[in-house]
Amino acid sequence: MSQARVRALQNGINIGLRFCITKRVIRITELVEMHIPDGLMDPVIALTGWIEFLVVAAVALFLVRTRVKDKDLPRIAVLSAGVFVAQMLNFPIGGGTTGHLVGGALMAIMVGPVVAILGMTVILLIQGLMFGDGGMTAFGLNAVNMAVIAPLTGWGVYTLIKPIVSRKDEKPFGPGTAIAVAAGAWASVFLAAAACAAELVVSYAISGGTYGIAATVSVPAMLGYHTVIAVGEAIITAGVLAYVWSISPGVFAREPVATTKAEGLRGILHLKTTQATIAVLIAFALALPLYFIYSAEGADGLEKTMSDAEVEEGGAVFSSPFSYGENYFAALFAGILGFVVTALAALGLLRILQGVKAAD
Amino acid sequence: MIVAHVRGHRVMAEGLDEHAKSSWLSGLDARAKLIGILAFVVATSLLTETRLVLASLAFSVAFAALSQVPPGHLARAYLSALPFILIASVSVFLFAGYERGLDMWARTSSCVLALLVLASGTETFELFAGLRRLRMPAIITTLLMLTYKYILMMSEELSRMTVARKARGFAGGRSLLDRRGIKVISYTAGMVFVRSAERADRAFDALTARGFDKDMRGWRRSKIAAPELSFVAWFVTVSVILMLLQLGVSP
Repeated sequence: MSQARVRALQNGINIGLRFCITKRVIRITELVEMHIPDGLMDPVIALTGWIEFLVVAAVALFLVRTRVKDKDLPRIAVLSAGVFVAQMLNFPIGGGTTGHLVGGALMAIMVGPVVAILGMTVILLIQGLMFGDGGMTAFGLNAVNMAVIAPLTGWGVYTLIKPIVSRKDEKPFGPGTAIAVAAGAWASVFLAAAACAAELVVSYAISGGTYGIAATVSVPAMLGYHTVIAVGEAIITAGVLAYVWSISPGVFAREPVATTKAEGLRGILHLKTTQATIAVLIAFALALPLYFIYSAEGADGLEKTMSDAEVEEGGAVFSSPFSYGENYFAALFAGILGFVVTALAALGLLRILQGVKAAD
Repeated sequence: MIVAHVRGHRVMAEGLDEHAKSSWLSGLDARAKLIGILAFVVATSLLTETRLVLASLAFSVAFAALSQVPPGHLARAYLSALPFILIASVSVFLFAGYERGLDMWARTSSCVLALLVLASGTETFELFAGLRRLRMPAIITTLLMLTYKYILMMSEELSRMTVARKARGFAGGRSLLDRRGIKVISYTAGMVFVRSAERADRAFDALTARGFDKDMRGWRRSKIAAPELSFVAWFVTVSVILMLLQLGVSP
């Protein structure tokens, strides 16, 4: 190759690289997000999402009606609008990419999970109806991911972790609270993304590729990206709460503290730790129908291959109580999720037991 | 996605309600539009046969063309909703082949387009009033209306603060490790909340003073007449035909 051609090639590469860097030709942020459009998910999964969402929404509406007064409505609306606007504010991640808030944890930690479920639902409705962000048949799934799982996990993790990491005499927003908030926010985004990825994978598996996205793409794309995004969410959520709670602590009242002390089972149910444990468990339980649909309708790849090739399966020497899922990624993330949820549930149980002992 | 969001909001801010008032589509009762278009969206998201999906897309495009919504506006709104559609169809394209990818793109695009025409061809509050008349719980529609009102208020607040930030030399921060940048951004978000809270209370007081009592009523008298019925009939017929053809194709 002549020297002139080499130089021309180098120039070409240089110009291309510079173009990529300055123009940010591919913005990953625009490609990976959580709003599922219509027609992407298998109808069975979309229907499951709707059913789950309607059940949760009915319970949330009932609880809100008994707790929220009319004059609280504008404050809830402001909070929803604020989260919506905060979603428009992007933060830098590095390398020219940016991310933005989901806001479920922020809202739940500010006003409690029940109001947050309602507020996030309203945000998603506006996005779906007005801006084409997220479809209507997929609304149930979107709402389950971002309006139910995200606030429940965020608030649950925050409430469970806070007593451990913060001291009793801490200032309104000390380092302990910051850590708890950050952990809640991180977990909320990660779990929501994991749920979204799981829905995509199951859709793909049960529809034979007509709907959904293959696990090899969706799991690393959704989870890899959101693991990083969630760090941003954690930092920004902590920052926003530090600001709001220190500048005007009264603006958004933290959830009302139970004044009456109840006894027995009711007493345990009134403990915040109990509620937080339940919240985390609900967030996790929402994923179960997906698993059942998957195991009922999706044929195992190996079994299918074997039956196609008319190979008989021999008796298993040892059968594991858990299946390893479709592939390595699925297994890995199922493992991580299972670990986190079990740890949190155990933590919650321990704290409840301690609380009961202390009350005795 | 955030960029997409901002783009979408700019599109919505361009006085859309102004021209929404003048078209035949905006004259229809919001309930009829909601029912017809949702039926079509549900039917379309169930289609798997390529020709039918393309037919559905063609119907959406024809509806968009007939709706008198400015095509430039629709195109920009569609572009802002495009990213997730694109990653889905491209990955399907790579893993399951050309036809499946095309199906995916056409199916999602058809639904998104129909919904965008619905949003653009209806005054926002008429849309919410339509939802209320379709028996959505009052607390949700009221929150929808208030939230939408406050979103407009707060995005102005945010854009004013963004200008102020830029004027002081803030360029957006470099990465998550840039402490100062992150601090500025999170305090900006916090400030939006604090500043808007008071204004929101005042806005709510103003609404109450004008006779707002927690449940919304549309400005116009709602009626279901011949145009509404024919609109619903039109959409439901198309949806049913698409569904029947789909059932005929796949056993």
